[in-house]
Amino acid sequence: MPKKYHIEINPTPLDLKLVAKFKITRGENCINCGKCTKVCIYEAHKRSEADIRKIAEPYMVACKNCFRCIQECPRGALVKSLDPEFQALGGPYWKPDMFLSIWKQAEDGKVPVSGAGYRGPFTGPGFDGMWTDMSEIVRPTRDGIHGREYISTAVELGRKLNHLEFDASGALVSKVFDVVNVPIPIILDIPSSELITPNIKQAIVAAAKKIDSFVILPAENITDDVQKNMQHIIPLMSAEQVLFHAELIRHARVIAIDYSDALLKNFCSIRESVRNLSPALVIVRIPASSGIEERVVELVRAGVEIVQIAADYCGMEVPGGRYIKDVIRAVHLRLVDERVRDEISIIASGGIAMAEHVPKACICGADLTAVGLPLLIALGALVYQEPEKKIVMPEGIDTVPVAIARQRIVNLMGAWHSQILEMMGAMGIREARRLRGETGRAIFFDEIDKDIFGKLFQNQEAASV
Amino acid sequence: MKPDSVVIKPIPSRFKHQVPKYKVTRSDACINCGMCAKSCPYGVHERIEGHNKMRPPIDYKCIGYECRKNDEFYCVYRCPRKALSLSLNPMYDALGDCRWTSDMIVATWIMAETGYPPERTDLGYNLGNSGGGFDKLRLKFPENPAKVNREEISTAIRLNRRADGRADVVISTPVYGGGMSFGSVSLATMLSKARNAKIWNTFTCTGEGGYPEMLYPYDDHVITQVATGLFGVREETIQRVKIVEFKYAQGAKPGLGGHLLGTKNTESVARMREAVQGTPLFSPFPFHSVYSIEDHKKHIDWIKQMNPKALVSVKVSTPNDVDMVAVGSYYAGAHIIHIDGGYGGTGAAPDIAKKNIAMPIEYAIPKVHNFLRDEGARDVVTLIASGGIRTAHDLVKAICLGADGAVIGTAEMVALECVRCGNCESGRGCARGIASTDSELADLFNDDWATQRLTNLYHAWNYQLVDILQRMGMKSVTELVGRTDLLEHVDYS
Repeated sequence: MPKKYHIEINPTPLDLKLVAKFKITRGENCINCGKCTKVCIYEAHKRSEADIRKIAEPYMVACKNCFRCIQECPRGALVKSLDPEFQALGGPYWKPDMFLSIWKQAEDGKVPVSGAGYRGPFTGPGFDGMWTDMSEIVRPTRDGIHGREYISTAVELGRKLNHLEFDASGALVSKVFDVVNVPIPIILDIPSSELITPNIKQAIVAAAKKIDSFVILPAENITDDVQKNMQHIIPLMSAEQVLFHAELIRHARVIAIDYSDALLKNFCSIRESVRNLSPALVIVRIPASSGIEERVVELVRAGVEIVQIAADYCGMEVPGGRYIKDVIRAVHLRLVDERVRDEISIIASGGIAMAEHVPKACICGADLTAVGLPLLIALGALVYQEPEKKIVMPEGIDTVPVAIARQRIVNLMGAWHSQILEMMGAMGIREARRLRGETGRAIFFDEIDKDIFGKLFQNQEAASV
Repeated sequence: MKPDSVVIKPIPSRFKHQVPKYKVTRSDACINCGMCAKSCPYGVHERIEGHNKMRPPIDYKCIGYECRKNDEFYCVYRCPRKALSLSLNPMYDALGDCRWTSDMIVATWIMAETGYPPERTDLGYNLGNSGGGFDKLRLKFPENPAKVNREEISTAIRLNRRADGRADVVISTPVYGGGMSFGSVSLATMLSKARNAKIWNTFTCTGEGGYPEMLYPYDDHVITQVATGLFGVREETIQRVKIVEFKYAQGAKPGLGGHLLGTKNTESVARMREAVQGTPLFSPFPFHSVYSIEDHKKHIDWIKQMNPKALVSVKVSTPNDVDMVAVGSYYAGAHIIHIDGGYGGTGAAPDIAKKNIAMPIEYAIPKVHNFLRDEGARDVVTLIASGGIRTAHDLVKAICLGADGAVIGTAEMVALECVRCGNCESGRGCARGIASTDSELADLFNDDWATQRLTNLYHAWNYQLVDILQRMGMKSVTELVGRTDLLEHVDYS
């Protein structure tokens, strides 16, 4: 059995001013009897260290909302509410609870587990509008009887052949293209580079190396301190800068070039000049906007081997207004129709916020995903959607040791990897490569709701007339 | 109709205070005249004998804005200094979520306390706020229903419809308690579920993890589970019961195995599970001896051989092919097909599984019902739904969609004053003593209290069910099965 891919996690707390979900205020009628300190099993209530006769301010990060102090205070002196600071976090896409979950995963690297049933909305836009399937007795698609230790999350970047051709003597005549293996369908993608301090940049690069994946970094930000890890860095540049960054390209395994009309027109010669420098594969990074299906087909025809389709930070196509889930599905199906799907790898990015988004994006047709904002949230960043996008890095972030920041990102990816295994195990899919476009292993809200409720209740009135 | 063994008694909360929906604010203008204390019949305002000052208002006793109509005592109007005001309490937002709203939790508490649906009209407890599924379905009542007396209405359902000479099990209300294993809930919780099952002539389920001796007096009302780890399964336990349940998967974590941490595998748990104390125990997924319906039949035959009277229930979650699994289980000899939807409860499951894997029960019920009907098997098998049946209205909707009855878990826990904080498994376990075996926490209530709370909750649901059947002009809950024409969906009408 080949060596298993494994992400080493290690509990790594970060001394941050954390935002708590709840707030408890102590009324003036508190008699300091200490009942709350006795009933709270999470030690949110303690006597004051400065004055033992008094009860200290509640430590809300520890509160798990069991309501016992509220209900058992003899004076009814405690009042709980949702903390407005918590409620203001994120927005419609980056829901406040996501932050708590990402922080916890970055700290302990474990799959978030809780009791009681699901508590969110029935369905939602984007990835929330789909469920993944599973099989228990009848399992036509299950890969045999193996456990999850045999599940591989590895995917490939690059062009694949539909079939191999041999000549009469049995020698291979097809040209087999170079591919790069990534052991997890996630590459890191550094967002807003102006927020990235040198230690954070080093940490993210080191994390990419640790999980044996890549990080996409604007070429001008690839400073000397990270160049030793060029094997795990994908320098991002414009088509015009290719020769300027020749030195970086020589050391890279994969590079990324921003899409432009000029790039599309001159791709052949640009690709050739890269090839003259190194065998690196080339990603074309293109924003998700309406009509993207068409442009991706053109890119394939021009010989592009990898495309990164980048939605905005909330997973939206701009302009266009489709969610990345639907954009990827449309592009994938278009490429299948054109019979060129295997000639290109698709990286979905923008709005990949939770582990579940990775296999869901793959099911919709991506080969892998790129993750940005959660990396910063893992380090304590606060994101606000309203009134406009704002990312606030925690105070003192520039002095956090690289090793700690790196481990938190590694922990987050470790937790995500475990969750991807859970979902794949349930689906009965043993190879992440086979997730691509496997919509048969998903249940889409739009389809099932119409299929079941639509048939039952549509035109019910008409039928009864 | 309720069995004679059901006796409704008010049984108050264990806690001094309830979670208030409203906030009564007393301003500085108050002159402590005591008018409010004299007039409020609910006891919101209080002045202790001999004290000059009023006590702070007791918010949770206030009935809120509907009190406005009570000219003679509505404190906000009656206060001579206009010092009192009423608002919504921000505390209420900290309770509940969009599936189990704060109103739903509070109403369930009231039902468990009184045995009847709340008299208050300010609690929207029949619908959640999840924006889909049951929460978008509405009951349609006929304008001129047949006249039926409450006493004539039967809520009983038969669980064995195969006429195969096995036990003819009839339950008095179309609901029974879900599997919760020894160790996952406190002994008082487990015992009270069984006692209530006997009182209501229905069932409770041991879950996977053995059959504790204290349940022996309730054998006829206990379902014992055979799950993938086969923990605590012995010939003797199979022979005790009237129903044996094969658990393939659980709605909250379909396709995932179970994992009991080593620290939770205490001496008594280990003895029950026939395992070594302190070792982590895994329930694998899937059943490693079942890879086809034929394998499945072999297992059912094995149970049937061991207990010639018992019925066999098959519990599966809700993948796309749940309809095929159901038909397969029928052909394999199951009496009960129990489908557990993706949004169901659990003592612990990965959040990613609860949200994302397998379909909600609302879709699975009509899928399975219709497939069984097309196969000609619907009348000889009992279809039980679970996984997100929160209220009597959900129950009725599930039956209209095609189920015969439902299994509930979370609602029972809420009756025992669960707040759904979700920390059943962390640290010492449930802070409220419901799902904890911690020596201190598990003693927070006894099984007498818990049994009456559950009996009351079942009564309140049954009362609502009878009400609905009466308004439908039906004499039996069995007439409701598959009547999707009595439902409407807000998106499709």
